[in-house]
Amino acid sequence: MLLLALLAVPFVAALVSVLARTRRAMETANLAGFGVTFALALMVVSAVLARGPVSVWGGFLYADSLSALVCLLTASVALLCAVYAVGYVREDERSGLFEDAAAGLWQFRKYYSLTPLFVCAMLLVALANNLGVMWVAIEGTTLTSVFLVMFYGKVTSLEAAWKYAIIGGVGLSMALFGTLLAYYSAHRLAGSDTLAGLNWSVLAAHAAELDRTTMRLAFILVLVGYGTKAGLAPMHTWKPDAYSEAPVPAAALLSSALLNCALYGLIRFYILASRCLGAEFPGALLVLLGVLSMGIATPFILLQRNLRRLLAYSSIDQAGIMAIALGLGSKLGALALMLHMTFHSVTKPLLFLCAGNVHQHFKTDLFGKIKGGVLRTMPLTGGVFLMATLAVLGMPPFSMFQSEFLLVRAALGGGHYLATALFVLFGAGIFGGAMFHVGGLVLGAGDGQPAVALRPWRDLSMLALAGVLVMLAFWLPAPLLELIRGAARVITGD
Amino acid sequence: MDFLQNPEFGDRVVTLMAAFVLVLQIAMVGQRSLVMNIRVFAAQSFLLASIAAAIAWYNHAPHIYFAAGMTVIVKAFAVPYLLERLVDRIEIRHEIEPIVNVPVSIVISGGLTLVAYLVGASFYHPEAEPRSLGHNTLAVAISLFLIGFFMMVNRRKALTQVLALLCLENGVFLAAICLTYGMPLIVELGVFFDVLVGVMVLGILVYRIRETFESMDVSKLRRLRG
Repeated sequence: MLLLALLAVPFVAALVSVLARTRRAMETANLAGFGVTFALALMVVSAVLARGPVSVWGGFLYADSLSALVCLLTASVALLCAVYAVGYVREDERSGLFEDAAAGLWQFRKYYSLTPLFVCAMLLVALANNLGVMWVAIEGTTLTSVFLVMFYGKVTSLEAAWKYAIIGGVGLSMALFGTLLAYYSAHRLAGSDTLAGLNWSVLAAHAAELDRTTMRLAFILVLVGYGTKAGLAPMHTWKPDAYSEAPVPAAALLSSALLNCALYGLIRFYILASRCLGAEFPGALLVLLGVLSMGIATPFILLQRNLRRLLAYSSIDQAGIMAIALGLGSKLGALALMLHMTFHSVTKPLLFLCAGNVHQHFKTDLFGKIKGGVLRTMPLTGGVFLMATLAVLGMPPFSMFQSEFLLVRAALGGGHYLATALFVLFGAGIFGGAMFHVGGLVLGAGDGQPAVALRPWRDLSMLALAGVLVMLAFWLPAPLLELIRGAARVITGD
Repeated sequence: MDFLQNPEFGDRVVTLMAAFVLVLQIAMVGQRSLVMNIRVFAAQSFLLASIAAAIAWYNHAPHIYFAAGMTVIVKAFAVPYLLERLVDRIEIRHEIEPIVNVPVSIVISGGLTLVAYLVGASFYHPEAEPRSLGHNTLAVAISLFLIGFFMMVNRRKALTQVLALLCLENGVFLAAICLTYGMPLIVELGVFFDVLVGVMVLGILVYRIRETFESMDVSKLRRLRG
């Protein structure tokens, strides 16, 4: 019942926002909805930690440690973004982005009803046991977030939304074909033509008996399909556009929670493929795409002129890192992946929240127009921004250093010397580029604008997340570590 | 009337209809009028539904009737209706301007069909497969998929890219009914729901692009770079 409630609460919050007549009612519905969702996600986590996998409706919804971790990350990012969004969308209204009160209310309604639906779809991705239902949910995340990408209705928003919908649609049709082939690969097993025949838990239990040729093709198609959603190169082209056009809290959700969901789909298929074909074949493909993603992100980060596009390319880089960690196929690699996913889900939204503060103050994303001085104008945002940038680049003491260090160790241990060398090379390039741009932005001279006052909704949610980032650098709560280890064990299968 | 019970005959009927589906797909590549394209798509979906129904009948798999019914409702009527209304709303009757001209496009489609047969052959195990439907249908499904991709890159108008996306979907549907007798019911339902909502979402996008750019040419969407 817990799992059903977890899906129902955001759905109800969306319904309430559709029907609500005032802005305040929508905000309350969202905050309350996401608060309850977060609490429920915590309860799911504790249930999974205490009793192992939870399922309802004869295994229709199913949560093991991996799903519980993804749910927890989604729910916590969603809650923080909901708090931030209150301040962000109000500021949009105040600065006259919406034509009149009626148009403003329509924009509020759009944001506050689509976001919970989007989160609901992402939670369903993590909880659906049936791979077909998981596909439907991932397609659902695209459909619910297209209008968030074109929220402002500008020419560029339309372009971004179009690319997002079409590239995502083509990618997902390949993923559907892959899902179908995975279903077909089990056709010799008894009872494969029932609903449970497409259940991940059933397929994983019989992975060794699946048809190998079919499974190979299925994995390639799914890798391209869900890789498109995760923004792995060369299917990444929608990502910078969508992230720079969506409202910042929605972009934060896209960059962390949605990335996790797409990777989650990929991980489920990777587990099937590696148990059926051995870890070599799927692993090599994943490492290849991962290194390619890092390589493509590097020049774009070095030469970037736009703040939020910089973050988007950083997200492509991070997706690549996680694909490499998955492709290593060792226990250490799986642990590095789950740690990295957790830490990235804290750091990347934080970067977006900072970027949102900068964007709303300076009314632009271009480094050339902002001319630095963020630390003087917005001391809090500037400081946190610099800290989060160091964190996402894998500097100690921040926790992403630990996960990337683990990854390098796992890669060297597995004999992936070339991939490790490229990882370090591209990592250094990205470090230089991002530090140069963000450092100039935060510490640069600026044109001496006066410091702005504290804006509670936006600044406090940002500070709360920064607090989590600092805490995770020095202390990882024992249950969380247990959950991460559990998720890594799901991947390696022991 | 015993041919109605004869699976051999059923297999031939299905293969014949699959051939027609392929012909319609190539007709869509060759057809330059947008409205005709939508109608050809409707006819193709209707044929797909008939294939599904025939397979359901000859293999005694009643749950495929449901998929057939949904295909008729969603893809043969609802989606073409929505698209044609959209064409009326944005008042364009003019032709599709493919990047590669029509004769070359048709030759490329033929080549893709050949590739599809080669891929499809690797799934064909005549000895191990008592309920196999032959690899013809699967090859047609894969060619629909590949030609859909080709249409996607060959066309500049937003609406025609939506049609190409729907063709990809049709390819997957045909593969699903001939490989595994369809997906489980709830998955099938979810997929149809997503197709319908997806067409609406893309339709709204096409409408807004048309309003803003005075054109549906997606090659004009080039402000976001780097």
